[in-house]
Amino acid sequence: MRNNAILAASLLTAALAACGSTEPEPVVEQIIIREPGAPVVAAEPEAVEDSGEVDLVALGEEAFQVCAGCHNADPGGPNMAGPNLNGVFGRKAGTAMDYPYSEALASSDIIWGYASLDRFLANPAGYVEGTSMVAGAVRNGDDRAAIVAYLASTGE
Amino acid sequence: MNDMTHANKPSTLAKWSRRGVIGAGVLAGGGLLIGVAVRPGNPIGALAPKVAGGEGEQLINSWVKIGLDNVVTAIVPHCEMGQGAHSVLAQMLADELDADWSKVEVMQAPTDGSYVVTDTARMFVAPFTLHAADWIEPTWNGLFTQVAKLADALITGGSSSIRTTGQGQMRVAGAAARGMLVGAAADEWGVPASEIETRDSTLIHKASGKSATYAEFATAAAEQPMDQTPTLKDPSQYRLIGKSKARTDIPGKVNGTALFGIDAAPEGVALSYAATVRSPVPGTRVASMDASRAKDMKGVLQILNMGDFVAVVADSYWQAQQALNKVNVTWTEGASAIRTTQDQFDVYAKALDDAGETGGDMAASKGDAPAALASAATVIEAEYKAPYLAHAPMEPINCTASVKDGKCDVWTSTQVPLRVRTELNAALGIDKSNITVHHPYLGGSFGRRLEAVYAVMTARIAQATGYPVKSIWSREEDTQKALYRPAELSRFKAGLDESGALVVYDNVFTQRDDPKEASVPGIYAIPNTSVRVAEAERYLPFAAWRSVDHSQHGWFIESFIDEAAHAAGKDPYEFRLAMLKDAPRHTAVLKKVAEISNWSAPSPEGTAKGIAIVESFGSIVAQVHEVDMSSGKPKMLNAWAVCDAGFVVNPDGFKNQIEGGIVFGLTAAMYGELDLVDGAIKQSNFHDYKMLRMDETPAITVEIINSGTVPIGGAGEPGLPPAAPALTNAIFAATGKRLRELPIAKQFA
Repeated sequence: MRNNAILAASLLTAALAACGSTEPEPVVEQIIIREPGAPVVAAEPEAVEDSGEVDLVALGEEAFQVCAGCHNADPGGPNMAGPNLNGVFGRKAGTAMDYPYSEALASSDIIWGYASLDRFLANPAGYVEGTSMVAGAVRNGDDRAAIVAYLASTGE
Repeated sequence: MNDMTHANKPSTLAKWSRRGVIGAGVLAGGGLLIGVAVRPGNPIGALAPKVAGGEGEQLINSWVKIGLDNVVTAIVPHCEMGQGAHSVLAQMLADELDADWSKVEVMQAPTDGSYVVTDTARMFVAPFTLHAADWIEPTWNGLFTQVAKLADALITGGSSSIRTTGQGQMRVAGAAARGMLVGAAADEWGVPASEIETRDSTLIHKASGKSATYAEFATAAAEQPMDQTPTLKDPSQYRLIGKSKARTDIPGKVNGTALFGIDAAPEGVALSYAATVRSPVPGTRVASMDASRAKDMKGVLQILNMGDFVAVVADSYWQAQQALNKVNVTWTEGASAIRTTQDQFDVYAKALDDAGETGGDMAASKGDAPAALASAATVIEAEYKAPYLAHAPMEPINCTASVKDGKCDVWTSTQVPLRVRTELNAALGIDKSNITVHHPYLGGSFGRRLEAVYAVMTARIAQATGYPVKSIWSREEDTQKALYRPAELSRFKAGLDESGALVVYDNVFTQRDDPKEASVPGIYAIPNTSVRVAEAERYLPFAAWRSVDHSQHGWFIESFIDEAAHAAGKDPYEFRLAMLKDAPRHTAVLKKVAEISNWSAPSPEGTAKGIAIVESFGSIVAQVHEVDMSSGKPKMLNAWAVCDAGFVVNPDGFKNQIEGGIVFGLTAAMYGELDLVDGAIKQSNFHDYKMLRMDETPAITVEIINSGTVPIGGAGEPGLPPAAPALTNAIFAATGKRLRELPIAKQFA
């Protein structure tokens, strides 16, 4: 019984240590933009003369949101499920740093440009059989053109 | 803290038996709230409204309620994460209650200290007490109730639900409830209780022709005295136990109505959504946050630097995650000198070098290993490496939290709801009695959801913003910022005598968690054994991962035993069998798996079989795997498993668990690996942390041996440990290439 009592005490100590109290941690910085349900107060757009031209890069950045689940295009941004696409234009396929490409893409001779990206995005596996990009085809040609223009604008 | 004084005093409990746990609360004077009868003034009264809210519902005891529609609801304290525990626990209760299975429902027990899973806690803290001598029992039981409460042991893990809660509590509750119903009918009808039969939720008195549904006597039954130690059925009397009854949770999972943590949509609560990012280097904190590029993004409500993480709250999860990706966060420097995978293994290797031939803490010792090694006819040596692994459960890590008017409600997938409550209490400063943890189904867990941090983070966001928030971790966050199955380095020596018998076994490694016996080749009769632990720093935080220490050591031991068999020039099956001659259950399991896999038949060119046997979580599992190496890469053909868990409660459910364990183990063996680069985990998502595909998975055959041994064993984990060694042993048999590190695939790239 004596041994049990000693063991019992040590078990209880362990259990107590496990639930040691900590002070609630204060918030370091809180940026409040709006309240839930409050209307979005759009920043007053600067008066620009409508030149009738379409900003394809801006449209592309917007359209790139469908890619952003797997790809980051910021300078120095991370590889996610897909590689970082900053400066992809002019790059040989399968050569971004530290990304485990499919053998199919790594061994291809593709240099990414308008035509190759357009074809690839329209149907990745159709263009490069064996690519690990199994989702994310952009069927809409206008969106594709905008995304390619946006990608072309990134990087150096 | 006052809770503990009770346990330190000499116990006033009467002689306790395992079955008596159901009434122990009354004996303990209110300190124990498990399974006590519903009587006025009884502490269980406070629970009644939580579980028996409906009109006409009567709580028989805290594990079962019976409605006026004659539906029996089993109140289950364990979580349902795909393993089938809800349904099988109900099956055990319903059998003892003689309930109509078509009218049995399952309800998750509310998260309340009253539902502490005492027997499970005992199994985790001091498993040897489960079958301690009677004279110790009162002490242990009283103590364990207290420890379980303090340690928040409302836990689902250790392959323990069926063999502890099921055997020790659900069956007892069912039998006791049946006794009370019979008692009430006997009083009303004026007949001896012994003449009343029960079947399909009906009470029958043949002599008088009287019969009634359980519902008719549910209310009266609550006033009956409860048998503290009801007689449980003999296996010959089972109607539901031992049968593959259809699981109650499957229809909802097929038709999509089942609700998981991530589905939380509390009524009348308008949710905002949070995405969070934690430091890639464990233990570091936010150094700076630049949110300028995220502020103007669509849907954003708030951006928060919480000190240890950064959060964006938005109208939708997608908007929150996209804005978070634009927040530029820098982190403080990590303190550890370990920065890469190589650094980690260097630290391990140094600890093993320092331990030398005989150093380290002795985990198991028999005979004189150093002397036996010196005099052995043949000595073989090997070093094995296992990588860090993630759990990668299908359902993303998530939590929904509302913190309002001094009360906190969270909805989350968790294996440890009471631990969540305790950590919320510490993090928010809100009293436990004002915290409610709702825990729906888990979409897989495997040990991942044994921590509370994601619930705490979400509740802190809800508290800071002032409105209810649902937070979802990206797959990258879960892969890189979680807790992990430890990497390990393990060195072996074995000595064979002139006849080729294994006479000495020496092993030294660096990590020892649970179960403690996992690293000991205790099933084999080896005259000289030395198993040593040379502790070394491990960089990534620890998590139990399906089968825990057995996941590395099962592979190590059964690979090295295979090496010894080949060194002895013996058949790996015969070699093992010879060392199991005093272990009849293991022998039977091994013989059976050799039989069903046609072990002795020659394999076609390029293919081969491998064998392994591991006892874990009370179950003995042997496997033979067959692999085709003719293409130069492993193609798994077949896996045969034979299991002795003593007695299997639901054979189909048990086989499902063994199959799941095999697939999980093969996934890790083929692909599982986390690399450290600059102190952070390199892998991020399923493209580089791969799962086994359907077309890669072997055909699996599982056979059960019901040896009748008690206590019964577990199901969720024991299928896993033999899978990797059976496969790598098969690859050796086919190619002569001995794999001493994992994963397999990259060694055949």
